Amino acid sequence: MLNGRLDKYLYICKIRMIRSFTYKFEVYGNILMQSIIMITTAFFWKALFKNETFENGVTADSMMTYTVMSAALSVMFTTGVERRIQQSVEKGSIATDMMRPVNVFGIFLAEDIGNLIALIVQNLFPILLIGSLLIKVPVIVSLSAIPMFVGSLFLSMAINWLLAAIFGMWAFTAISMDALFQVKKHLIRLLSGSIIPIWFFPAWLSDILNLLPFVYIYQLPLDIYIGSATNDEICRRMLIQLVWVLVLATLYYLLSKKVLKKVMVQGG
Amino acid sequence: MIQVKNLYKEYCVAQKGKGLGGTVKALFKNEKKIIKAVNGLDFHVGSGEIVGFIGPNGSGKSTTIKMMTGILTPTSGEVLIDGRDITKQRKEVVNDIGVVFGQRTQLNWDLRLEESFELLRHIYRIDKKEYNETLAVMDSILGIHELLNKPVRQMSLGQRVKGDLAAAMLHSPKVLFLDEPTIGLDVGSKFALRKFIKEINAIRGTTVILTTHDLGDIQELCERLIIINNGVMMEDGNLSEIVERIAPYRTLVVEYYDSEVPSHPKAEIISVSDNIVRYKFMKSEITAAALISDLSATKPIKDVGIEEAGIDEIIKIAYTTKTTDGN
Amino acid sequence: MKKTGSSIAHYFGVTMCNIKMALLTIVEYPSNILGWLISNPIQFILGFATIKFVVEQFGEINGWSYGQLAFLYGIAVISHALSMIFFVQGWFMGFYVIEGDFDRFLTRPLSVLYQFFFTNINVLGLTDLIPGILVFVYGCVKTDFSFTVTNVVGIIVMLIGATLIRGGIYILLGSTSFWTKSANDFGQFTQEIFDKTTMYPISMYPEAMQLILTFVIPIGWVSFYPASELLGIEHAFSIGGMEVWITLAVGIVTMLIAGLVFKIGMRRYESAGN
Repeated sequence: MLNGRLDKYLYICKIRMIRSFTYKFEVYGNILMQSIIMITTAFFWKALFKNETFENGVTADSMMTYTVMSAALSVMFTTGVERRIQQSVEKGSIATDMMRPVNVFGIFLAEDIGNLIALIVQNLFPILLIGSLLIKVPVIVSLSAIPMFVGSLFLSMAINWLLAAIFGMWAFTAISMDALFQVKKHLIRLLSGSIIPIWFFPAWLSDILNLLPFVYIYQLPLDIYIGSATNDEICRRMLIQLVWVLVLATLYYLLSKKVLKKVMVQGG
Repeated sequence: MIQVKNLYKEYCVAQKGKGLGGTVKALFKNEKKIIKAVNGLDFHVGSGEIVGFIGPNGSGKSTTIKMMTGILTPTSGEVLIDGRDITKQRKEVVNDIGVVFGQRTQLNWDLRLEESFELLRHIYRIDKKEYNETLAVMDSILGIHELLNKPVRQMSLGQRVKGDLAAAMLHSPKVLFLDEPTIGLDVGSKFALRKFIKEINAIRGTTVILTTHDLGDIQELCERLIIINNGVMMEDGNLSEIVERIAPYRTLVVEYYDSEVPSHPKAEIISVSDNIVRYKFMKSEITAAALISDLSATKPIKDVGIEEAGIDEIIKIAYTTKTTDGN
Repeated sequence: MKKTGSSIAHYFGVTMCNIKMALLTIVEYPSNILGWLISNPIQFILGFATIKFVVEQFGEINGWSYGQLAFLYGIAVISHALSMIFFVQGWFMGFYVIEGDFDRFLTRPLSVLYQFFFTNINVLGLTDLIPGILVFVYGCVKTDFSFTVTNVVGIIVMLIGATLIRGGIYILLGSTSFWTKSANDFGQFTQEIFDKTTMYPISMYPEAMQLILTFVIPIGWVSFYPASELLGIEHAFSIGGMEVWITLAVGIVTMLIAGLVFKIGMRRYESAGN
């Protein structure tokens, strides 16, 4: 029974993966653009750092690792769930989608996972390769950091996906979806450490940001990777990260219930 | 009015492998195939004609109509409207044509219909007086007046198509192109649309070119049919001529008193069920009367009937005929 | 001569009508205004705060003081906002190519590129202008920038040029869809690259990259060179105070090239459903 249910999602996952593989030019275009951004960012930090060492031990060299890894992570944090919700609301297919015997958000998740696998193969590896050749081979700070990095990365992906799904569902009840998605995009862009590490921000601000979920998408795994935080700090922050996953998952669960109910009543 | 000369359109299509392996392979290697969507069309449409383009999906009829409206650039050949090449002088020539594509709209989805008309009035530089006159004509045929204040997104498909038809006629084009205009419409809207086409053709002398899959459209509207398949013209003429040419036979249905069935040298038995036999015969070879009298001479006949090839049958034949034995 | 005049009047009339329709559409969806009024300023205020923090950490950037950087950032955001108003559709060109949305433009007696941009003129892009102007004014105050006639003309000229350069690049990137037949949306990437190259002095980058940004992809002319001239900062290609005019010239040339590439691409346009 459970096996049979999982099969459906696996199938959706596979189909999405195959579809992602067929968009060849998009893939090349994205790799090219992401590489340009990555290289520009590397030069940017090089020019700023010169020979300085930052108070938490970060040098221009570890900033290069940060840049390459941040570019790599941005590939893995691609989600389609909010767009899918928007499309199905606009086309009015959400009602029929929800009547199906499979969970509609389960479908979106399966699609995103399928897409992720395709992205890892066709975008992540090329970008890591280009980054390694042109900027720096991004070596992790120590072998013992690997399990923590992998663990926090999974939690990061969970937060990222849940945020996307929650914003998608929120947009469902609001009207102006595009603007809302923009808000989310820029919050993540600027407050997660993906472009600028938050240790550049004043202490009061990074203290506040450490309470918000955004930094747990990019900043934490990257800090673990380049070793710019102490073990104690990492443990404490991973705990907050875990709490955020739980909070967002609960919120997601409640919202999806509400949305489902709303669709059932209104018929989409 | 419209001259289509030696028109070709080729597409380059990437070949994809099957399954995951195929798609991964296609990431690195590209196999291309050239598809000839339109393969040498030549025809002329006179002023005031209503011409129906028919053909199965992928036959090249949409591609043809898109080249005739300046949307697609022909690979070779040309489309002349009033002697001017639509590809080379697009901006001038399109003033003479109106276009309605059934599945998509040129109206602004969010705003009242009148706003879209107002924009078109500026785009085609229609002066206020002419605009009001045309609108009055459109109102008398389509009853457009009551729709003017309605946002397009709140319209039914039938209303929206009416809006699109009026929009396409605002600048009083000499030629109106319609690509599957009746697709998805209810019976009432279909009727209104056909009435509209006939009336603008009669009142304004507008030349109409339409593609359709709807047999009713063909029967009611098209004095002239152009049947296209595989990018090649299969038939061109009026409906009864085409019937005469591609289905010059009739079927004689004969009911006997028992199941022993006689044959005839000039008729082919196409089916036998119980005591009823269907004979297919060529009109040129034998008349129905002669066939009946020959058959009744060999065996007593209980009942007879004659079937003409219907329009749907004609189209089926035209669609299935291969390019090689066409022309 | 008379024909040109009537043609300009024609396009002007249609443009006014398009703007009116854009405003009416906005009124239809009031929550959109609110959304963009929040989202766009957030983006640039956060962006500017980031620059402030970076400057606080590292001091001057390649000799550019904080006030000068604010000037540069502000003027970059203003031209960004203008390009969002007039040319944002360029980001979505791929979708038009794939969905066959150019069809209706092709059957109308106006330039396709004109209709593509102005049918969907993005009046809400004005919300991008607000943070731009705020930061720019702040930069002007900090640098004691004097609003002489020459300077004001210079700013207007460079903004026109910069907007054209951005628009031209959007068109060029979007036009690739005619060849690739895929609906690439490079919008976010484009903006990311523009952010790094127009909001900071490009003199901080290696020489090869500066050369590329000056001669190949002329982003340097969007903000760095003209702002340098206006602020009186020396740079590698000082050309006697003609930078703002060169920006305009580069903008026109970029647009012309983009228009040509678009025109060639349009011949490959396949509409939808093939």
